[in-house]
Amino acid sequence: MSSNVRHHIVIGSGVAGNQAAETLRERDPDSRITMITISRLPFFNRYDLPRVFRGERDWRRFIIYPADYYRRNRIALRRATRVVGVDSTAQTLTLEHKETIHFDSLLVASGAGAYLPEDMSEFRPLLHGFGAFRDAIEVADALPKKGHAILLGGDTIGLDLARTLLDTGHRVTLVAGPYTFWPHEVTPEERPKYVAALQKMGIVVVEAQERGGIAGVEKGAKGLAARRITFGNGSDLSGDVVMPFFGVAPSLDFMLGSGVDIERGLLVSPNLRTTNENIYAAGDVCQIWTDSEHRYCFYHGWKNVRAMGELAARNITGANEPWVPPQDETLRLSKDGKIQSPFWEYQ
Amino acid sequence: MSTDIQIAIVGSAGDGTIAAGDILRRAMAEMGYRVISFDLYPAEIRGFGKCIARLRVTDEQAYSLKPRSDVLVSLDDSHAIPHVSEAREWGAVIYESGSVTPLAEGAHISAHIDPGQIPYHVPIRELSEKSTGSARSRNIVVLGYIAGLFRLSIDGFLRALNSKFKGKADIAQKNEAALRAGYEEGARWFRLDDIDFGPPPAKGAGATVEMISGNAAVVRGALDAGIDNFFGYPITPATSIMERLASEMPKRGTRLVQTEDEIAAISATVGAGFAGARTATATSGPGLALMSEMLGLGIIAEVPCVVFVSQRGGPSTGLPTKTEQSDLNIAVYGGHGDAPRIVIAPTNVEGCYRCAGKAFEMAEAYQTPVILLLDLYLSNRYETVPFPAKPPFEADMNSYADTRGGNAAGFKRYALTADNVSPRTVPGQKGGMHIATGLEHNELGRPNDQPDNHAAMSRKRHEKLQLALKHPDFTHTKRFGDEGKVEVGVIAWGSTFGEALEAMILARAEGIRCAAMKVVMIAPFPTEAVAAFMADCGDVLIPEVNYQGQFAGILQAHIPRPVTRLARVPCEPMEVGDILAEIRRLAGRTTEQQAA
Ligand SMILES: Cc1cc2nc3c(=O)[nH]c(=O)nc-3n(C[C@H](O)[C@H](O)[C@H](O)COP(=O)(O)OP(=O)(O)OC[C@H]3O[C@@H](n4cnc5c(N)ncnc54)[C@H](O)[C@@H]3O)c2cc1C
Repeated sequence: MSSNVRHHIVIGSGVAGNQAAETLRERDPDSRITMITISRLPFFNRYDLPRVFRGERDWRRFIIYPADYYRRNRIALRRATRVVGVDSTAQTLTLEHKETIHFDSLLVASGAGAYLPEDMSEFRPLLHGFGAFRDAIEVADALPKKGHAILLGGDTIGLDLARTLLDTGHRVTLVAGPYTFWPHEVTPEERPKYVAALQKMGIVVVEAQERGGIAGVEKGAKGLAARRITFGNGSDLSGDVVMPFFGVAPSLDFMLGSGVDIERGLLVSPNLRTTNENIYAAGDVCQIWTDSEHRYCFYHGWKNVRAMGELAARNITGANEPWVPPQDETLRLSKDGKIQSPFWEYQ
Repeated sequence: MSTDIQIAIVGSAGDGTIAAGDILRRAMAEMGYRVISFDLYPAEIRGFGKCIARLRVTDEQAYSLKPRSDVLVSLDDSHAIPHVSEAREWGAVIYESGSVTPLAEGAHISAHIDPGQIPYHVPIRELSEKSTGSARSRNIVVLGYIAGLFRLSIDGFLRALNSKFKGKADIAQKNEAALRAGYEEGARWFRLDDIDFGPPPAKGAGATVEMISGNAAVVRGALDAGIDNFFGYPITPATSIMERLASEMPKRGTRLVQTEDEIAAISATVGAGFAGARTATATSGPGLALMSEMLGLGIIAEVPCVVFVSQRGGPSTGLPTKTEQSDLNIAVYGGHGDAPRIVIAPTNVEGCYRCAGKAFEMAEAYQTPVILLLDLYLSNRYETVPFPAKPPFEADMNSYADTRGGNAAGFKRYALTADNVSPRTVPGQKGGMHIATGLEHNELGRPNDQPDNHAAMSRKRHEKLQLALKHPDFTHTKRFGDEGKVEVGVIAWGSTFGEALEAMILARAEGIRCAAMKVVMIAPFPTEAVAAFMADCGDVLIPEVNYQGQFAGILQAHIPRPVTRLARVPCEPMEVGDILAEIRRLAGRTTEQQAA
């Protein structure tokens, strides 16, 4: 490109991507900003999705910025568009429909998708996801009044949903395992008190391990609930929907072969730069070098992710500031015995 | 209206854009919806140029297309990209998700979709190839997708498809496979737009609703009025009138002759009219210019005949495939001498039917050539039209002289009567005299150049036409919108009235007191009705698709009052948005006020 105007590309229109675009526009008013996302919807907070069960089904009520925000801020929002490759040397990226775009700076904020353990993947068609608006509507449609939802794994996203489902008169059974409370690390000693807190909330907790692990998920027989889970010990469990909550895995297929370093996530220095000087990353997709831990760490949750988006944009536009790891990310119990996660503090 | 959805399909010639639009409108009409549609396509051959099929689907008949579409389909991004902004906020943009070749930045339509529009990226080519073995049915895949996405009955589409490809079983079969593939894909998608097709209107008793083009409606009107003869010479955009009549008239034992040129066509038409037949010709501006001398004969000899004129861009060969309303002056004034004639201009397809039939009645009742003025936009656009069970036309409106036992030599073919219409005879009528002369004549029809006679005959020929303003069951003008005093009144004629009406409706929705009047009869001019309307209007706006403001000129010759002319030659129909902007300006509304 012969133009002198810098072209910032942000991959992802989640919390990190949108915060980054906002900061980029503030700090580099004359630049071109392009935000690319697979999503067809403009940006909405995914932690708002449980509202669907309270009867809010119009996606327009979920979006954070009106369409005009993007027009006013001259952020070219390319939705329904998948990046399939990045060439860090040529400073280009390729879209699924074979369009090539040049960038001066690239911020990868492609987040993470729900993780499904290998041994569960064959049951995927029978499981209900919860990452997108459509998923939420489909679950809401599949779950009758007072219906029974079975949550597998039980990460904090799932537990947050469980709170709403109970509130809206549904039954919730949690098939607990090593991912329960993810991304919080809960020691074996502490675990019983948190499980008890879940039970106090009204969740029926079934320890998968005690039943020989999950053996299968199948359709319920005629006249019975829509889904049936069988366990290794021969016992079973029936519900209207079965939803996996096993944490998340970074979305970075398109970065393979790009020339930047990857471990599980995109590896970035404390100033959120990848191993290429023009490529930064922020949000669920990246692992940040953390001196105190002597390793690359993930920092999940919307507050962290938003802060990363802002920091990356600042550093792209001339600053050189380091990521400051959050102080306290632990799970807590309130005085009246309720589970408290810093990830749920968004109201 | 509970259903009001406009779909625009944009592609390149050869993509099947126009065919897709045709099947879509047939399917919608088949389901019972009301449709108005107009296609734009280049004059070039297959493989070049932009094609756009636009249709508006409603539950009450609409008069024009909307300024913005609810759904925009791209069959060719290079042509569709300049039109993306046509899709409204929260409207759908449906496009090919893949690409066969590498693309430069911005060459894919997804780069141009506004944050307020909803993208639907569909593997159109892949679905076509999988279902039919080739990419040629992409247009049909898209139709299936629309049907599936908006939960429309696939049966209506299948029937439309089969009628389109009647007798071509192989093509019909492949297209059915493509349609079903697209339908399944569409039904799978999660809808994010707010486009809702309400139920189609219930079928009314008595009338049958058919989807038909303006020219086809003219033909239907002519046939229902009992046309006996047609003489014509082909010219765009009037040709299809002759083509359709050519296939219909022989079945009814009536005659159509393609003459060697327009002069022969009008000569034969006037001759057949003189002989007592219901007769017509059809042409466009250049042909009307050639016909003007013989029209003069029809006027002075007081011969009933009908001339269908569909206007296109001019002068001369001009812009044969573009619409324009610039033949109004030649229609009203064209010719030598004081040559008054009746000129009527329908404003929609239903009007084409009614006016065509009424033109024959008027020609007979007032013994004069009648020009029915259309334009390419009206000739080629499709609308659903309710046709009455019985044609609403009189079979014969001649006032024949009773010549039984009379003295032929003393028969006054051009008798000066109270209403200025002289009872006529037709050749072969006993006791009648059959004179048709281009010379000025007296009541007996004999040449006469005396000043008193010329004045009396000129007055007769002019005055008798005033009767047409009271022609039974004919609406020469009609007011719409606010009653009483209004800030702005829009007066429009011909095809542009639809856009004027739409703009008026939008202006009222913005709180502007506004009304619109359509003027169907342009000669004789309905001065009284138009003046009464203008008396109610703070400002008068006259939109028309010609450079001079020809209608405004005619109006001001009858009603000397300032008007605002919105006279444009965009080579396309007038845009509703342009008329609306002018209404706002005249009403003194700023952009901020109307946004508020
Ligand atoms: C249902 C749900 C509930 C949650 N609840 C909470 C909560 O209560 N509290 C909390 O703190 N956190 C919560 N989270 C987690 C939090 O939302 C995430 O940490 C945060 O969304 C991550 O933001 P991000 O910007 O990194 O990525 P994301 O929000 O995941 O966004 C990633 C973006 O990248 C795009 N993308 C991915 N791959 C590509 C590609 N190849 N090409 C183009 N675009 C691509 C996606 O379309 C998307 O726009 C929840 C998450 C989910 C799914």
